[in-house]
Amino acid sequence: MRKALLVLLVSGSALFSGGTTAQRREMPPAHRRNFVACPIVRDTKTLPCWLAEYEGELYFLGLQGSSASEFYPPQLNHEVLVEGTVTNDPRICGGIPLKPLRISVLPELNRACNTLLPAEDGLEAPAAVARRFSEDLRKPGTDISQREFIIPFDFDSDYLTFHTTRIVGEAARIAKAVNVAKIEVRGYRATTWLSNGKQFIETETIAAQRANKVGEILVGLGLPATAVTVISKNEPEPCDGVTDTDKRRVTVRLFTP
Amino acid sequence: MRLALLAGLLGVLLFSRARQDVIGQQTEPLRWIEAGAGGTLPAEMYFHNADGKLGVLLTGGPLEMKGHAFFEPQGINPRGCVTCHQPSNAMSVSVEAIRERWRVTNGEDPIFAAVDGSNNPKLPQALASSHSLLLNRGLFRVGLPWPPADKTVKPEFIIEVVRDPTGVNLDDTYGLKGANPTISVFRRPRLSANLKYVLSPDDVFNIKTGTLMAIDPETGKPASMNMMADARHLTLRQQANGAYRDHQEGRQGSLRREALEQIVAFEQQVYLAQSHDRWGGSLVEANGPLGLGPRALADGKIHVLANNNRDPVFRLFDAWKTPATMAKELTDAQREFRAPVARGNDVFMFRQFWIRDAAHINSIGLGNPIKRTCATCHNTQMTGQDLAPGWVDVGTVNYPTWTELPVFSDKAELPVFKLTCDKGAAPHPYLGRVIYTNDPGRALITGKCTDIGSIVMGQFRGLAARAPYFSNGSAKNLRELVDFYDRRFDMKLTEQEKVDLVNFLSVL
Ligand code: HEC
Ligand code: HEC
Repeated sequence: MRKALLVLLVSGSALFSGGTTAQRREMPPAHRRNFVACPIVRDTKTLPCWLAEYEGELYFLGLQGSSASEFYPPQLNHEVLVEGTVTNDPRICGGIPLKPLRISVLPELNRACNTLLPAEDGLEAPAAVARRFSEDLRKPGTDISQREFIIPFDFDSDYLTFHTTRIVGEAARIAKAVNVAKIEVRGYRATTWLSNGKQFIETETIAAQRANKVGEILVGLGLPATAVTVISKNEPEPCDGVTDTDKRRVTVRLFTP
Repeated sequence: MRLALLAGLLGVLLFSRARQDVIGQQTEPLRWIEAGAGGTLPAEMYFHNADGKLGVLLTGGPLEMKGHAFFEPQGINPRGCVTCHQPSNAMSVSVEAIRERWRVTNGEDPIFAAVDGSNNPKLPQALASSHSLLLNRGLFRVGLPWPPADKTVKPEFIIEVVRDPTGVNLDDTYGLKGANPTISVFRRPRLSANLKYVLSPDDVFNIKTGTLMAIDPETGKPASMNMMADARHLTLRQQANGAYRDHQEGRQGSLRREALEQIVAFEQQVYLAQSHDRWGGSLVEANGPLGLGPRALADGKIHVLANNNRDPVFRLFDAWKTPATMAKELTDAQREFRAPVARGNDVFMFRQFWIRDAAHINSIGLGNPIKRTCATCHNTQMTGQDLAPGWVDVGTVNYPTWTELPVFSDKAELPVFKLTCDKGAAPHPYLGRVIYTNDPGRALITGKCTDIGSIVMGQFRGLAARAPYFSNGSAKNLRELVDFYDRRFDMKLTEQEKVDLVNFLSVL
């Protein structure tokens, strides 16, 4: 997957800088949709659909699910940051699907974000993806070879989701199993290159907030505080409009004796 | 009669016979247990209420109250735990019973102790008006240190007292400016029964915070964080010691070891639920609903996520859906009552509405709004609590959805606080950084702006025996509780659905 993203990046820059790598691109790749908007919820006969509008076009973000779902929907009363790639897939609930897609609920209140549309014939929600039972996710693995863990975050957020807490749990489990000598926790602050060309930088303290939180969890899970080094990089990561979401992260590295 | 009843095992038998000729509830044996009075608590007890009878079960068998720490005063005032946790009142205490005590004792009952049984300890205690929150809403004063006792907590907001009808929050001894700065909120007693459900721990991670669950210091395992309106106590021992200091004015720091163990052992074996309908018929029937009556609580499995149609929160009510499947011996009136109860269960479990702007439900990845049901929040089998730590801002205590009268109304009874959050702090997801509330709830413990007005949902059992409802006693009866939800979530419930829901809640 990393490879695929790299390829996209290269072709993207070729497209936008006329092939001269020295010249900085003005805009993220044309197939990307990186924007901040008020989310829209549309009721259906089954599950509600989440949509957002950008430059007169409607995009489908996802369906209501549960806390164990992959997709965490937006929230009315808040803007949403959408970072996705346009697909040619048929419209869902009237919106163009984006894949891959990451959305972030922006923390500040915005009461203007308040659109709830009624169900409408012809705009049906697709069947929900079969839900993985939370119990499955709670079962730890048995493999102990992994040494590096990446915990992704939403924009401006240090909240660990149901899924990302499992990653930290795995890291702790393996760290204990291999009698870890040192654990390095590194927090990052990222930038999103919006489709309108602007750079959207995360709040100043976010790298430290994220790293400290993960560090505290590791210690809380029984790893010696003396073995855990928490580092945060406050300088925002550079953006390319494509892999920006991957940079909002904490990495955990395990060093064995 | 009283003596005969207290005479041990035979008591149970006589007791149930005696009930039939006792019309007035107040003369019912054990209706009000005074701390220190002694006597025997039978292993099985039934108490009348407006919707039928409540059943209380002691799985450890009959209990001598004389010398038992739950039933004897432990601190300097003459209160026992039982003073506010009465078997007849579903191990809580109803406003009806409180008023009766005022009448019978001319306001001398220990339940009215100045410390927290009055609006403000400095008011003239002989006046009913000095106890209006207790007499009108069943509320006790809960004084919590501010900033929080846990010095590692860095509050993200400042608190101003905007309205202080009791005078206690601005008082120079008891208030925010006193030597021990304190915020007083007013809360209902919660059930000291069915506690195996309340205390069952969830995961290592707390889905409400995305961090680790607090650790139970006694077991070293994650705590349930589902006790008290603000989850400030993690274990029954911490809780009992807290009650000893706060309600009983105990001065020794904590209860004596034996007393503490006796209390905890007792609490762990009390199960209760509504047991009979208004016509005296048992709610527990062969082939009937499985989730009713106290025995079902004693035998039930803990920590079952039940927001589904296979094995719902209060189990299946299918047997009551049509007269054809109901028990044969039921009268027409009883049949006419059971059908709405079964429908009410369906409303509770399956009637969808837009749940919106509820912090710690909509804000934890589910989305805002979500089209779900009552059981989304109240998802634990047998009790209707939240399987995860159950603090949610459902709107009961925060402006503008609170049930209290307008902020500056002269009739407002509860204090109003204005909380202003730091710019750098994560704001309350739906109210922002300036919030008016009559109980900051969980935020008084964590200091977090996002927690303002989040109250831990309590269990739904024995509701008929312990009105009023919600932590701030704002719903006088079950109909008002249902009306609150109808308004709060614009549910557009039909009159029929409301009646059904009320009937359903009344049998739990
Ligand atoms: C003056 C009345 C009063 C007395 C006396 C009292 N309590 Fe309570 N109890 C309350 C109130 C009020 C609450 C709820 C407080 C809150 O939510 O902050 C409560 C809550 C509880 C709870 C929590 C139940 C739950 O599920 O959240 C338990 C358990 C409990 N009390 C046990 C005891 C014990 C044990 C004693 C005696 C040592 C005792 N109480 C004495 C009023 C009282
Ligand atoms: C968004 C989550 C949420 C939803 C949805 C919800 N509740 Fe609640 N419920 C709560 C919370 C939180 C409390 C505790 C509030 C308080 O005490 O102030 C509560 C308390 C209660 C109580 C306990 C009252 C008491 O004093 O013991 C009952 C009964 C209740 N709810 C019924 C319902 C019914 C019926 C519905 C559906 C119409 C419903 N709830 C929907 C969160 C929710």
